[in-house]
Amino acid sequence: MNFMYLYLPVALTSINIIIPVGLGLAVGLLSGLFGVGGGFLMTPLLIMFGIPSTVAAATDSNQIVAASTSGTYAHWKVGNVDFKMGVYLLIGGFIGGLFGVQAIKVLNATGNADFVIKMTYVLMLGIVGTYMLIESLNSMKKKKTEAVKTEKESGLTKFLKSLPFQTHFEKSGVTHSTLIPLLFGGFVGILAAIMGVGGGFLMVPVMVYILKMPMHVVVGTSLFQILFNCIEVTFLQAYTNHNVDFILAVLLLLGSTVGAQIGAVFGRKMKGEQLKIILAVIVLVVTVKIIFELTLTPSLLLSQAGGH
Amino acid sequence: MKNFKFLMLLLPCIFIFAGTASAELTIKANHDNIKIDFFYHGSTVSVAGNADSGTDLIIKIASPEGHEILKQKGKVAGLLWMNTGTLNLGHVPGLYSIYSTKKIEDLLSRKEMDKYVIGYPALGRQIEMTPVSNEDEKSKWFNEFVKYKESSNLYTISSGKIMTTAKDGKQAYYILTGWPYQAPPGDYLVTVYAVKDKKVLEKAESKVSVEQVGIIKMLAGMAKNKAALYGIISIMAALAAGFGVGLIFRKGGGAH
Repeated sequence: MNFMYLYLPVALTSINIIIPVGLGLAVGLLSGLFGVGGGFLMTPLLIMFGIPSTVAAATDSNQIVAASTSGTYAHWKVGNVDFKMGVYLLIGGFIGGLFGVQAIKVLNATGNADFVIKMTYVLMLGIVGTYMLIESLNSMKKKKTEAVKTEKESGLTKFLKSLPFQTHFEKSGVTHSTLIPLLFGGFVGILAAIMGVGGGFLMVPVMVYILKMPMHVVVGTSLFQILFNCIEVTFLQAYTNHNVDFILAVLLLLGSTVGAQIGAVFGRKMKGEQLKIILAVIVLVVTVKIIFELTLTPSLLLSQAGGH
Repeated sequence: MKNFKFLMLLLPCIFIFAGTASAELTIKANHDNIKIDFFYHGSTVSVAGNADSGTDLIIKIASPEGHEILKQKGKVAGLLWMNTGTLNLGHVPGLYSIYSTKKIEDLLSRKEMDKYVIGYPALGRQIEMTPVSNEDEKSKWFNEFVKYKESSNLYTISSGKIMTTAKDGKQAYYILTGWPYQAPPGDYLVTVYAVKDKKVLEKAESKVSVEQVGIIKMLAGMAKNKAALYGIISIMAALAAGFGVGLIFRKGGGAH
């Protein structure tokens, strides 16, 4: 008997407890800092350590419930959660998710689902990462591009302002039509469902660049809506697929809940632009990693069936 | 040291009383009821018995044949590796380990290997595989399948690890093998074959059973049979942990 190892009853494998606790701490830190769930990092890492892919994804959403509760709580304490905006995004995301699931069914029927899913993932990560990096570098340098930018964006802003149901979001200090968070929440929901990820890395840029919310409120609000998304996903995964491993989730959340608190504290000390740059770099690194995985010959050509 | 001496004294006794006395070839798998508990990280199984002197021995540990579905990776557009289909395998054991006194190719004819399904080539000929269009493709995917299984320690073939000692014109054999934690609960068949002149002379069988116990059994059963309750408990625990840590950090002066 070795007390460093615990057996996972649903994953049907044994793991050194340092691995999930450490991974939880690292990914929870990112979660508290940037308002992402971190599924795009955690799920592949768990698979790398021998957890079946379907169990990895389902258990990760269970652990994100804990990390995002911890993170939302930390950000709420300092007034950085826009609950009103969060609820609209959630409603949109929920409806989008329903469409996304249907889209996967159609893709599976056509036979090239994996290709479309992988390409969507790489393109989305690449575009979001590049855009955030360039934009935040530019605004940090305070180049004279501001004039051009405001001109460019005034078209979109005008259009957004012309929509009905305009309402003020106090915490974020912005006024939008309620249709906007519903629509973009839905858009992220569709893509997230297709890619099988939480979509935090898409929701954060939507809030920053389209909804014009301040970065610190974006992080808290994003965690708030991730929390509810992951509650729904965890229940569905446990109920329909029996893929949630309780022991693995507990080990992960031991690290991630603490990580999220540390991340929130660090985040407050950093500028919004700095946060955006680091998030952009992480997203781009993940993009490059996926491109490598797609092009280098894998060591094993067979893997467990189920999931993406 | 004392323990070791005691074991050395005990070992011949185990050999003598192992298996059925009437057969020439006997087998006994010790630690044959493996319990998967909270701290389980694999186990060991020792197989011992008596055989005629002058015979070589092959020990096979395998789970009952079943059906497996795996995702296949292939190149798309000549450039990108991704999942391109599923591979269905029939008559395939989940775990398959072969230990022998010498290399099995030197011990058995192909016919005998096929008859008793000993060695990867024989296993490959027995397995049903779809979709494959020809023998080359089948052999390619079977090799990939073995690689996949070996990566999780479920398939293994090794020679020279069985210890034998001469005793009263017979030989006693003994092997201690690692039992992989990846092997799922179930019954596993342990077979020893006495081999001479490229033929199997005799075989004897024993069993290893693996079962979940305690909290592991409870959680695995609940995840399957009380899925809604299991889901709700998982969510509640996560929410409580998140809030709990939030409160601790506030009290600990984490906020400022």
